[in-house]
Amino acid sequence: MDFRFTPEEEAFRKEVKEFFGKELPPDWPGVDPDQYHEDAFDHIHEFSKALQKKFAAKGWLGLTWPKKYGGQEAPLWKQMILEEELTYRGTAGYDAYQFLGGCGDIVLEFGTEAQKEKYIPPMCRGEVKWATGMSEPNAGSDLASLQLKADLQGDYFVLNGQKTWQSAAHRADFAPVYCRTDPNLAKHRGISIVIVDYKTPGITMRRLTQMSGLDAFCEVFYDNVKIPKENLLGQLNGGWAVVMSALNHERTYGIQLIVNIKRDLDLLVQYCRETKVNGEPLAKNALLRNRLAEMAIQLEVARTLGYKVNSMVLKGQNPMATANQMKILGGIMTQRVAILGMQILGLYGQLGPVGGNWKQMDEKKDKWARLGGRMKHLYLTTVCNTIAAGTTEVARNGLATMGLGLPREPKPAAPAKK
Amino acid sequence: MDLSFSEEQEMLWKSARDFLASRCPKTVVRQMEEDEKGYVPELWKEMAGLGWLGLPFPERYGGGGFKFLDLAILLEEMGRACLPGPFISTVVLGGMPVAEWGTEEQKKEILPKVCEGKAIMTLALTEPSARYDAGSVKVKAVVDGGDYVISGTKLFVPDAHIADYIVVVARTAEKANPEEGITLFIMDGKSRGVSTFVLRTIAGDKQCELTMDKVRVPKGMVLGKVDKGWEMVKKVIEWGALAKTAEMVGGAQQVMEMTIQYAKDRVQFDRPIGSFQIIQHYLADMSIDVDSSRVSLHKAAWMLSEGIGCTKEVSVIKGWVSEAYRRVTAQAHQIHGAIGFTKDHDLELYYRRAKAGELFFGDADFHREIVAQQLGL
Amino acid sequence: MDFRYTEEEEAFRREVQAFIKETVPPGWLGVDPGPEEESREDVYPLALKTWRRLGEKGWIGLTWPKAYGGQESPLWKEMILLQELSHHGVPGVDVSSAQADLVLTFGTEEQKKRFIPPITRGEVKWCIGMSEPDAGSDTFAVKLRAVEEKDCFVLNGQKIWSSGAHHAKYEVVYARTDPNNKHLGLSVFIVDLQSPGVTMRQIMQMTGLAPFCEVFFDNVRVPKENLLGEKNGGWAILLHAFGAERTYGLFVLYNAKRYLEQLVQFCRETHVNGEPLAKDPIIRNKLAQMAIEIEVGLNLGHELSWLAMQNQPTVKASSQIKVHGGGVAQRVANMGMQILGLYGQLSEDSKWVKIGGRMRHTYLGSVGFTLAGGTSEVSRGHIAGKAGLGLPKR
Repeated sequence: MDFRFTPEEEAFRKEVKEFFGKELPPDWPGVDPDQYHEDAFDHIHEFSKALQKKFAAKGWLGLTWPKKYGGQEAPLWKQMILEEELTYRGTAGYDAYQFLGGCGDIVLEFGTEAQKEKYIPPMCRGEVKWATGMSEPNAGSDLASLQLKADLQGDYFVLNGQKTWQSAAHRADFAPVYCRTDPNLAKHRGISIVIVDYKTPGITMRRLTQMSGLDAFCEVFYDNVKIPKENLLGQLNGGWAVVMSALNHERTYGIQLIVNIKRDLDLLVQYCRETKVNGEPLAKNALLRNRLAEMAIQLEVARTLGYKVNSMVLKGQNPMATANQMKILGGIMTQRVAILGMQILGLYGQLGPVGGNWKQMDEKKDKWARLGGRMKHLYLTTVCNTIAAGTTEVARNGLATMGLGLPREPKPAAPAKK
Repeated sequence: MDLSFSEEQEMLWKSARDFLASRCPKTVVRQMEEDEKGYVPELWKEMAGLGWLGLPFPERYGGGGFKFLDLAILLEEMGRACLPGPFISTVVLGGMPVAEWGTEEQKKEILPKVCEGKAIMTLALTEPSARYDAGSVKVKAVVDGGDYVISGTKLFVPDAHIADYIVVVARTAEKANPEEGITLFIMDGKSRGVSTFVLRTIAGDKQCELTMDKVRVPKGMVLGKVDKGWEMVKKVIEWGALAKTAEMVGGAQQVMEMTIQYAKDRVQFDRPIGSFQIIQHYLADMSIDVDSSRVSLHKAAWMLSEGIGCTKEVSVIKGWVSEAYRRVTAQAHQIHGAIGFTKDHDLELYYRRAKAGELFFGDADFHREIVAQQLGL
Repeated sequence: MDFRYTEEEEAFRREVQAFIKETVPPGWLGVDPGPEEESREDVYPLALKTWRRLGEKGWIGLTWPKAYGGQESPLWKEMILLQELSHHGVPGVDVSSAQADLVLTFGTEEQKKRFIPPITRGEVKWCIGMSEPDAGSDTFAVKLRAVEEKDCFVLNGQKIWSSGAHHAKYEVVYARTDPNNKHLGLSVFIVDLQSPGVTMRQIMQMTGLAPFCEVFFDNVRVPKENLLGEKNGGWAILLHAFGAERTYGLFVLYNAKRYLEQLVQFCRETHVNGEPLAKDPIIRNKLAQMAIEIEVGLNLGHELSWLAMQNQPTVKASSQIKVHGGGVAQRVANMGMQILGLYGQLSEDSKWVKIGGRMRHTYLGSVGFTLAGGTSEVSRGHIAGKAGLGLPKR
């Protein structure tokens, strides 16, 4: 057993840290793994694109992918360290590892040679942005209920319907879109994935504003959109296997939430040390000490559990049960930090601009905001963390049945016909 | 990073599990709650024979030369089996301080006996104020010729009533900073003036009132440096907390396994109750408490084994498990329903031990304060 | 809207408090509600005495018809009585009244005349025979068989978790008269526990007390006059029993209030290293949190009482208070243990024990509060379902 990283790994971590030291402005407030800031703010998006090109120049995109397509064939631990550092610094452009990486992984697993050669190299060069088209108004947790139709007509799939809650869609060039290709098969058997070029005619988008005030999501509408049949990813009606694989690749999301939120806990500790109320530093308040320590303990324990995911993957073991645990913890703990932050800031917690500490403070309105309004932003945005990328309830179901071997709930009888 | 056990460690936990499953059934556990001594001498001998009592001590004193992580693995299995008896008291609270800070003479006299199962030890720290801070150490030790004379009462001392050697924490000087002026003494448990009384506790473990009435301890039995004892006590608190945590993690694992099995077996409304979503969610959350506790325990135990400073990590895991184990047992009770509430059922053994473990060497609030200091607050 | 009690109500409350003062020994630390602690050797005589004295004052079955020994008092009187008894932890208040309520609702005139008066006089105790090893939350899975013969029913099978059965004269037994219909095949019998063929075994709980029993029925002959309600009509009685179970959560909350008061007192009087515990900010926070949860629960209880007095449906409110009350009691127990620290572990007969070891007892006993009388999970189902939030069934 050894909880340390090797000298080689530590050297790489140092290289990464130095890179960020150079590339990020010294007061970089950090973006979150949900990438909502990049999606919502143009200037952050532009910075992110430029940074991504620099990642590419260092060979940090597609780290573990085959060299044939522009990857580095580097060992997995390198990617894990990079992700950890990216996340803790809240570096922009690292959606590469969520969306881009996830999409690249499924293309590599299910794609034809032609598809791999077409799509992977631009990803490695940092030239493109990808999104993922899964959820619909009637298909959230019950993804298999998706209805967006893809009719094979000659050389094209014709897509009709809509997707929703699409992060980054308005910024993206491509997306794997999950469609219904056969309505006569069982729900999850009639699904196919097609790779959509978002410039295809017939696609419109509408940005949705979240409760945090950021318009980071999209609805994406498909009106007779013709997608070449070569863009089918994997088997026709074999999409469910791709779904399972895609979910597997999201396994680090919970870990990233935990690593990211530590930055905010550190901020709060600092705040308590520097802030005096009636002559007493907040850091000496017994209750606050207790609560901050409790939060630090929870994050530390969760982070340590996260190492188990990586360790299992490196050994070729199935990490999904632990990944589910991390997803649950990530959602709940980020919410707790936000709540604690609001408690500590008291009335001041209510103040601040949309998006938090990104210096778009209005001199008058935000005059009294503390920590740039970060806690307020967190408090609003973390609501999503137990919902997005798979709800906590679904994660618990998966953990219980697949992880602990509990019997599935029997399916209810079919609803009576109206 | 590598989170796996070595082959040797795998063998250790497997053999420990098998041994305890057969030699420490729950009937023995329950008997020992009522038993005066609180342990089975034959079993203690067998554990000595297996090298368990000497596990962390140097080979030249009869020990196995193993590290704290190995000890933690053993302790997990002991927690799983609810092993009764003075193992932590003897090995961790008594033996380890002697091994770490004892003179050659002290080590030669005491450690071989401990390894052979011939001496039981403990640490007498808490007093009626029931706190683990230096300011609460008020029992005095005064020089008289070639001895120190100690008088006062210690409370909640585990296994004092059977201890051959008691490491007593006493005050030898009054200073402005209460952490200064504390000294550790290795007291013969059968000294004149020593009387013990076993308290009736929730877990049926043998926590004692220890009254010392002008007990004489020779100067040669001072452990470490006079007046400089608190630094040592802080380390022992870490060891004790971590050892107990290991026991608690083992217990939590067993509770979870029992509950999963029950959820699969128990049929109501024509289906196993484990097929109801709320039960599944309860168990999912339970698995998070159990699994997260284990990895963090291993991290702290590993750091201690490697000689890496781990004050923060120990408080993190003790602070966490103090609440997590309680949550696990409470949730297990809820899932088991009435049957789990009966004395017959094993579950209540764990519920009561979870509470005792929570309090042992610092509850969550105590350890949070340490973490707060580590955070720079 | 008026949250105050009337003069009359306050006067009655004072009367009850005086009664309690006369009944319990000085320095009485209280016991938890229900038959659980009452069964203790050192408590049972007090329980019997209290039950008799309550009978003498006409305070058992306050709201029952005078024809059977009741007082036909308004419901508020009974509520106040039960509040005070649970708050002070007075033993002797148990499920007998709830069983009597079933007889009053479903019984024949003859049954009412036969069974109710002795209860109102505090002369007999009743218990419940519902759960079986394979029928816990799934009450309709009851298997104990009742076969109709010419002049009686013959019962075979067993019941479990019957609180106080070893002290009771009668048990209200839910038995299966139709093995082919799960929900419509149950009948309810009033069984004299002295009948030949009835044996019992007390079950030890993790609290160290044994108030529960397994009750075995071996060809027990029950006269037909003891059938309560219709044959196979047990479902209606069950439903009524669940709906009428209004008091469990409330008892538990008033009980918790006593623990809180004892803890506050303890914290004010106890100094550690020169400082009263009551000045420790973390302890203050914990005590305050408990006080808030209890107060909120009690207010929910007022709503429940008010609904009952208006003859409005109470299933949702009583389920809510049951869930909330059980959780609050467990949290209070845990916080109490944390405040007492190492001392919390000590048994009531241990040297150095604080507050008579009550925290330790309730830390163990309160585990049952979210299980007995219907688990919190089942209660949440009632809240969510058509009696409450109207959420659809699966």
